[in-house]
Amino acid sequence: MDLSKAPNPRKLQLCRTYFLTGFAFLPFVWAINVCWFFAEAFRKPTYPEQSQIKRYVIYSAIGTLFWTIALITWIVIFQTNRAAWGATADYISFIIPLGSA
Amino acid sequence: MDEHDVPSSSAAAAAADVDDSQSGAAERLERPPRRQQKQKISNYGSNEQLERNNADHTDGPVLAVPYVVVRGTNSQPPRLSAGGADGGPGPSQQELEEEQGLKYGAQHVIKLFVPVSLCMLVVVATINSISFYNSTDVYLLYTPFHELSPEPSVKLWNALANSLILMSVVVVMTILLIVLYKKRCYRVIHGWLILSSFMLLFIFTYLYLEELLRAYNIPMDYPTAVLIMWNFGVAGMMSIHWHGPLRLQQGYLIFVAALMALVFIKYLPEWTAWAVLAAISIWDLIAVLSPRGPLRILVETAQERNEQIFPALIYSSTVIYTYMGTHYTPEQPLPTATSSPSYSNSTTTTRTTQNSLASPEPATGGSTARPGNSRAHQRQQETQAAAEGMPLVTFKRNLHGNEEAAGFTQEWSANLNDRVARRQIEVQSTQSGNGRLSNEYRTVTAPDQPQPELPEERGIKLGLGDFIFYSVLVGKASSYGDWTTTIACFVAILIGLCLTLLLLAVWRKALPALPISITFGLIFCFATSAVVKPFMENLSAKQVFI
Repeated sequence: MDLSKAPNPRKLQLCRTYFLTGFAFLPFVWAINVCWFFAEAFRKPTYPEQSQIKRYVIYSAIGTLFWTIALITWIVIFQTNRAAWGATADYISFIIPLGSA
Repeated sequence: MDEHDVPSSSAAAAAADVDDSQSGAAERLERPPRRQQKQKISNYGSNEQLERNNADHTDGPVLAVPYVVVRGTNSQPPRLSAGGADGGPGPSQQELEEEQGLKYGAQHVIKLFVPVSLCMLVVVATINSISFYNSTDVYLLYTPFHELSPEPSVKLWNALANSLILMSVVVVMTILLIVLYKKRCYRVIHGWLILSSFMLLFIFTYLYLEELLRAYNIPMDYPTAVLIMWNFGVAGMMSIHWHGPLRLQQGYLIFVAALMALVFIKYLPEWTAWAVLAAISIWDLIAVLSPRGPLRILVETAQERNEQIFPALIYSSTVIYTYMGTHYTPEQPLPTATSSPSYSNSTTTTRTTQNSLASPEPATGGSTARPGNSRAHQRQQETQAAAEGMPLVTFKRNLHGNEEAAGFTQEWSANLNDRVARRQIEVQSTQSGNGRLSNEYRTVTAPDQPQPELPEERGIKLGLGDFIFYSVLVGKASSYGDWTTTIACFVAILIGLCLTLLLLAVWRKALPALPISITFGLIFCFATSAVVKPFMENLSAKQVFI
């Protein structure tokens, strides 16, 4: 879909929908929102809805950042402690790496 | 893979059948209507008329001058720029247009090459890195014969029987789709498409992720995997079936096509895959080109209704189908109508022979929901009706949610006025007894397209089924581990695509994209693996290159 042809209220509505959808454990949607509306929020000449779009974009960016950090932290903790946690760790492992012979 | 995966994969295959059934239908140029319009004008307009039009174009409404008699002249036919965007009048306009057509054609060839190549690249890379997709151990429901016998003759009839079964499934699915489309069961079709893309984006992506991680020996825990799957799938559903950035949508469509191709490569027995490729291209040929072919009916119905074929089935090089939903603003009933200077009335002269497909449409359209048409058009139509003093069928269209509007196009409403004008001309010409033989045509003022320029209209669309089967061919060729064959197939398919696009530019109608490409691909594949490869091996064994 082409944002440049969309009227401003529609942009705001889309941005808000993407932002609200992101709360359903969907940081990827937030990331899309940031990438998609970044130019609208910061590069375009001002229009009435822009301040709200800007707010949603910033919040989405914060959310994405938070999720990224959280996910990386979790992965690092899990992978470093996997052997130590024993059966529990094996139980929640999707792929257990094979050792090389 | 356990047994309960098989029905799901078969269902997805059914979905892919539909994809495939769409394949040929997809590809058509969007230009012909406007071009026809222009040619009509050029045939019957004179220079002074053109000037008048231009004046009208700048002055605004021409409703005050409704009765204009146009004399047909033998001089160089001037051209009216229908959208106000493309080319000014000139003596070499025709050549210019041809040139422009070639230029845009070339651009679109490139625009299609990139996604097709990307799709094949994904498939080939997967085949070469993940051995899971290389071996067939579980079979689809549609292929009951498993080609386990070493005898070539038994394998041959197994493959033929399997492909026959698969093709009949494809035919039945296509006809079902056509019936649903004809009956306007859009909800059923959308539900079907959403279900199939849901399965591809969640279940098959899950399998893909698992095999990918296993192949590269990357550790991962379930919470992370579930989070990734959830994010990937939901974002894909949003961007395919709702609104999303164009690039993301195209990327998801390419990925879905590649995944479907991998499913075919994985679950079809070897000879069956080749037989299916041959059979599907023949079916594509029949379905698109024969007079009662289902895909032809589909394309014609879609053109008649001025709708786009469903976005989940078609890769479009531009934003056509998602464009619609953005244009309705509840806050502004008349988005560009009064403010935009280019929204002026241009004079459109049309022949009476044009209206065969348009006239019954508004009458029937009133009964069903017509999402995606703005109130502006309706109002505009009413004002026009009032101005012309002609009784028109005015009908209320329901404005549904935006998610429904995604499947429909601005074009329908844009052409509405055109069709109205056409009908009026028809009525008047039959009333006055002039008929179509007359050289004098009344020009009827019809507001032109409300959007002054729509460069997106020139997009070329390619069905996802074409992506899938191109990729199946290349992937199957690469599964033998021979890069010469793979690259030969790749080049052959792209050449076939080029030829198809060339024919498209010549004939300007929907064409099947599979036959030429697949024929070339099959010939090149077997010729390369049977002739070129031994030859090259011989050459390198004898060290001719050194």
